[in-house]
Formats: sequence, C-alpha cells, structure tokens
Amino acid sequence: MSISRTRRAPWAIPALLALVTLFGLLAALVGEGGIWWPLSWVTLAVPCVCSGCYLVRGLRPPEQS
Amino acid sequence: MTARRLRWWSWVHKWSSLICTIFALLLCLTGLPLIFHEELGPNPAIDKVAAPGIRASVDTMIAEALAERPGEVVPYLFYDREKPIVKIPTAGSMTSAPDTFFYKVFDVRTGKALSADQPNEGFIYVMLRLHADLFAGIKGMLFLGGMGLLLTASIVSGMVLYGPFARRLRFGEIRKRQSNRLRWLDLHNLLGIITLAWFGIVTLTGVINTLAAPIELMWQSNQLLDMAAQNRGQAQGDRKAPVDLVLANVRAAVPGMTVTTLAFPGSPFSTPTHYAAFLTGDTPLTSRILKPAIIDAASGEVVVVRDMPWYATALFVSQPLHFGDYGGLPLKIIWATLDIVTIFILISGLYLWLAKWRSGRAVVDAVGTASTEASR
Repeated sequence: MSISRTRRAPWAIPALLALVTLFGLLAALVGEGGIWWPLSWVTLAVPCVCSGCYLVRGLRPPEQS
Repeated sequence: MTARRLRWWSWVHKWSSLICTIFALLLCLTGLPLIFHEELGPNPAIDKVAAPGIRASVDTMIAEALAERPGEVVPYLFYDREKPIVKIPTAGSMTSAPDTFFYKVFDVRTGKALSADQPNEGFIYVMLRLHADLFAGIKGMLFLGGMGLLLTASIVSGMVLYGPFARRLRFGEIRKRQSNRLRWLDLHNLLGIITLAWFGIVTLTGVINTLAAPIELMWQSNQLLDMAAQNRGQAQGDRKAPVDLVLANVRAAVPGMTVTTLAFPGSPFSTPTHYAAFLTGDTPLTSRILKPAIIDAASGEVVVVRDMPWYATALFVSQPLHFGDYGGLPLKIIWATLDIVTIFILISGLYLWLAKWRSGRAVVDAVGTASTEASR
C-alpha cells in the first residue's frame, strides 16, 4: 500500500458521513417541501444510527473467549 | 504529522475542551428541551373557522390589549410563522426590555383573544435564558459565544487528532479488552468523527447567533436610519395612521410576502416617526430571511422596502441550522438524538482527561515514593 493511500484511507468513511450529513442539513433548508424533507430525514438518520450502533457495541461487556 | 505538531494539537484539544466542556454540557442539556419548544411551550388552542383567509381588525385587538393594561403601550406585533395567531405585547414604555412585556394572544381571523401562558415565564423560558445568555443579557450571550469559539477549536483539533489515531484502528473498532480508558477513548473518537459535521455546524451557527445583538445594533445605526432618512416623516403631533391601514399598505407594496413583525414608532426597531414592518417569504429558507419596510407613521404610506445586509442574512440563515426546526418533527428527533450523542462525547472527554490525570498522578506518586525509598 502506498504512503498516500495509507494516509487517505482512515478518512474515507468519516468524509462520506460528513457529506451525507451536510446533504441532509441543506436538503430540508434549500429544498422546497416534497421529497426534500424525507430525504433530509433519511440522510441525517445515518449518523444517528451509526452513533447508536457503536454506542451500544462499545457499552456491551467484552465477549468471553 | 510530526511529534511536535501532534503535541501542539493535543494541547489545543485538551485546553479548549477543558475550559468549555461544562458550558458545552449546559448548552447541550438546555438545548434538548428547546428543540421541542413549539410542542412544549405556550400553545393556545385554535378554533376551526369557515373562511380561513379573513382578517379581523388589528386595531380592535390592540385596543383590547391596552384596555387590560392601562397606562401601557404596544411596541410590537408578532405574527406566528405557522399558526394564524398574533402576539401583542404591552409594556411600560416603547423601549422596555422584552422580558418585561405582557403578551396577549389573538386569533388573526376572528380577533378573539386566546388563553396562552406568557412566553417569558415557565420551564422553556428558563431553559432559553440559560442557553442563550445565562440570564446575563448581552454579556452572557457574548461569553457563551466565546465558549462556542473554544468548542469550535476543540472540534477542529479533535478532527486533526483523529487522523493519526485512526491509522492504527479499523473504522468502528472499539478496544474493550485492554482497559476502560481505551474503550472510552475509542468511543469518544468514533462518536466525535461520526457527528463531526452536525456538531461543527450547530456550534458555528450558535456562535453566529450570539452576535445577534451587535448585528441588530449595526442594522439600527446604519440601515434603519438610512432607510428612514428617505422620508423624514412629518411630525404631526401624535397622529398615527391606523395599524390596519399600515398593514394593508405594506401587504400591497410587497405582494407574496408575509408580515411577521411590526415595530411601532418609538420602539428600538423603528424611528419616532415611522413604523417598521418585517416581512418573510414562504419557502423554508426565505421564511427565515427578514425584509424590512419603513412606513410613515402619520400617513401610513410605505416609504421604502429593502433587503437586509449580508451580516443580518448570515444570522437569519444560521438560525434554523442551529435550532433544527425546519424539517418537521422527525428532524427535531434527529437533532435531539445527535444532541444526546454529543453529551456522551463531552462526558467521555472529561472522563478521559480525569483518567489520564489520575494515572499521571499515580506515576508521579510512584516515582516520588521510589525516590524517597532510594534516598533512605
């Protein structure tokens, strides 16, 4: 793996999440009704669901091996 | 990133967070009920009417509000954005502070007085004041703005530090076996990076909101006086055009827009010889951007209508992005969820610092004990 790829890789998912969030924030504000509100809800639900899943996973006690 | 740069960013993250965390926690906790202020706040019951488009006389409503509060004056009219109601405050003088206003609420279609709690009392009001200015007026507001700037520094430095951290772990990996501290470090970093864009925007727009008072002052001292200067207004004693005529003239001069606020002559948002009306559009974005119209108080004629300057528009656009009230109830629930996640991030950050500080102390104590033993 090249150095530049190693450096960029950790940012792929966070960058995608940030783009999805920004789209959701602007969709309901700039879009005029119709599909824009549900689109905003669906896209902004992504960081909510991700946070919830990882929070539950992180708070669960470690599995016994 | 060099070790020196990493240390510098860690220093920025540690200190900016430590200083503002308690205030950020307060803002997150008080902000949570505020997201639902429309659902939880004073909410008058509204009748169904046969002709929803009709408008009752506002002058009659004002007379009714004043009859109940003899000796007081009406400085403003506030129309609701969603419901067909108008709030008419009465006050000791035209320049009285808004927290001393007594509000009477009317149905704009029937002119009927509605029973509603005062918006400047109760749980939501206390939350709002704690969130907006800590009950300390403009000083409290600017102080919270400073805390918001520190929080922005904390978010930016946290993002910079995420890079070197994430290179060692897969996205979503939480190390639970080694120690509680590592588990919370991974959760803190993970939740922080997932909510980064939302938290960053809400913090920045919050900082812009704390500049509302200076922005209002700038508009009053530049634009308002400049607009009013186009017609000095004939001083004809205390003669004022009826409010119904003023509203009709404004609506005719600016078709397609809705009057949201009317400032009466002598109030801080008008001049002694002019009314000022503030209008909005009907899209989610334009319903937030106010357009002022200046009206000659004596004749009721519209003098000038002008767009707000860019700095005021920046404030108006930043408000919905901070409040999360522009996409129905589901958006509010999303806002509340992300707010709760943010509370987790703040508390975990505080825990991580305490754990590190304690382990640092333990090392210092151990080294101290060892050196004392050695010197014996």
